[in-house]
Amino acid sequence: MTVNRKAVPWIILGAAAVVAILAWKPTVLIYGVQRAGLYASVAIPMALVLGIVHIVNLAHGEIMMVSAYLTYNIARSIGLDPWLALLPVALVMGIMGYFIFQLTIRHTLKAPELNQLILTFGIAITMTQAISLIFTPQTRKLPLSYVSMSATIGETSFGVYDFVYVAIALLMGFGIKWFLSNTRMGKAAVAVGQNPRGAAIVGIDVMKTYVFIFTVSVILVGMTGSVFMTRQSIFPYVGSPYTMKSFSLVAMAGIGSISGIIYSSLLLGIAEAAINGIRGASGWSGIVFFLIIIIVIAVRAYKGRKL
Amino acid sequence: MKKFLTMFVLSAFLASTAFAQGAIKIGANWNLADITGNHGSKGAMLAVEEINKAGGVLGKQLQLVIVDDEGKGDKGVAAIEKLVTVDKVDFLIGGMSSAVALAQVPTMKKYQKVVVSTGAASYLVENALGADADWYFHLHPWDYTQGASYLEGWTAIRNKYPNIKIDRMFLAYEEGAFGKSSYDSSKKMFEKDFQFDGESFKSAALGGGDYTAMIEKAKEYKPDIFLWAGYDADALPMLEQAKAMRFSPPLFVGAPPGWPKDFGKSKLADNVTLYGMWAPSINDVNPVSKKFYDAFVAKYKEEPATYFGPLAYSAVYVLAEGIKRAGSLDSTAVIKALEQTKYLSALGETISFSPSNVIKHQGIRNQKILQWQNGRQEVIWPFEVQTRPPVYPFPAWK
Repeated sequence: MTVNRKAVPWIILGAAAVVAILAWKPTVLIYGVQRAGLYASVAIPMALVLGIVHIVNLAHGEIMMVSAYLTYNIARSIGLDPWLALLPVALVMGIMGYFIFQLTIRHTLKAPELNQLILTFGIAITMTQAISLIFTPQTRKLPLSYVSMSATIGETSFGVYDFVYVAIALLMGFGIKWFLSNTRMGKAAVAVGQNPRGAAIVGIDVMKTYVFIFTVSVILVGMTGSVFMTRQSIFPYVGSPYTMKSFSLVAMAGIGSISGIIYSSLLLGIAEAAINGIRGASGWSGIVFFLIIIIVIAVRAYKGRKL
Repeated sequence: MKKFLTMFVLSAFLASTAFAQGAIKIGANWNLADITGNHGSKGAMLAVEEINKAGGVLGKQLQLVIVDDEGKGDKGVAAIEKLVTVDKVDFLIGGMSSAVALAQVPTMKKYQKVVVSTGAASYLVENALGADADWYFHLHPWDYTQGASYLEGWTAIRNKYPNIKIDRMFLAYEEGAFGKSSYDSSKKMFEKDFQFDGESFKSAALGGGDYTAMIEKAKEYKPDIFLWAGYDADALPMLEQAKAMRFSPPLFVGAPPGWPKDFGKSKLADNVTLYGMWAPSINDVNPVSKKFYDAFVAKYKEEPATYFGPLAYSAVYVLAEGIKRAGSLDSTAVIKALEQTKYLSALGETISFSPSNVIKHQGIRNQKILQWQNGRQEVIWPFEVQTRPPVYPFPAWK
């Protein structure tokens, strides 16, 4: 195994930070990693679309919200556990994703980016308002005993259920990487993402690739929504902060970089948990999230200019 | 939604019939998309229907004109303008949000219609109204009277049940304006009599929902009473995380403006204490509450989910009785008659008006301390309307 020499100082710095956090408050690391898992599992599908279809989907969080409501209603009406409801929900979300693309996004692919942003923003508002009218703005939460699963080390008890987000993020990340590197469709998608005109010249059906990738991303964020509603309360506006966080993570990681999203989520998740761990400082965690993103993007831009 | 639209069409039809006979017009505004406004308007419509069935007021039918304020100040102002100038209402009722009420104050001052307000807890509204607003009858408690009632309630509970120990308080508050002002006013109120500490958290309603750091701090503090001031979206996730972290303070108290749908059905809800003005359990000790509850369920096929239902219902009755006593629609006569109000309300208490810090006509002053027991909100204080004794301590998680 070879290690990039440039990465050595970062690895040492990271290890030192982990040791320091473990010595100070081990739960910061636990909650930080859990939080990172949630952020990454919501952001990865957005990165997929942005990297290949080149669309900033501002309805990303709202799609997750719609899926959460769908799961909630299936679970309530036929008593299916959300983890089992996830499969029919994925199917419905796939159909929804296909139609959203064909009916709306397809027609703005060559339009200015601002038009695309306004379109997806409109889709987001339509989804929020429709759910609000159908289900009212009242908050809903399914009581599930397994979300309170806990472990105790010494005198510290902590929740372990949120590690499912870590598993989902890793599964999603590695799954997409494998798909893009080892399947015909995946390789075609990478080619379309890098150069759609070139891909079309060599016979790749660009539009078919776009439809497929967008539909897959809606299915993935939809499945995350199904899991999200097991842990969190749902209401019509629950998705919008995740659109913003996902977009910020994608920007920080570099457009289309799946592994970059996992590292960025880890950094931000642990930083947030560390700030929350300081008495009276929790109000700063949201600011720290965006501050780190600004610093990373600024440093990258500076380095780029030097090159 | 369909039902709600049918209801509005029906009330508009009844209203037009009433108008033909020279009705007494009552204008109202609530945020109809919110459960408080939705059930508040339903409570008011129910009261109007009952009063009209019983022959109306001064031989006239009541006509209720409801405008959606959408929870926004500008829409609230527009609602008052429309009700007064277009619909030409005789009286105004309603309201929930303090921000909307604050925006409405100048317009209300301009027209000086008699108002029976169901909302606005912020003292800023009272300051904006000023001492001269004798046309303003405020039913909902102000924030400072609420705070004082909690202090009174916990002190009374501590005295009546010596096994309940309340020395150390911890207030978890959402980091927005609502939570921060709750923390500031509670600290001021409680720190003389109790050891007091607190920590903020980001509410799930505002993109948060991770309470672990706050719970860790509360656990370290070892409070006798753990209170949280956040939103309904925080209620169950916070309990689930508290369970995962094995945090079970002797008293677990929530103070959101509303509770999520079916919260009471969750096993975790059992023995959670809360603040509120009404619960269906009051039916056991108050016949007006039972009458309201039965009629509400029969008409709308759902339970009143918030105290705004009985509060708006009471507002209509208070106003109707005031008009009856006045014998005319003249504002001065109605104000004088309303000052004589003694109305046993569905909320479990007799409403009468007396001065608060600024205004002359303050109605209800206390909130109640309730507790979820077997899926029902039981009143544990005030003792006059107590429906069950408190369960103490909050059981350790299994």
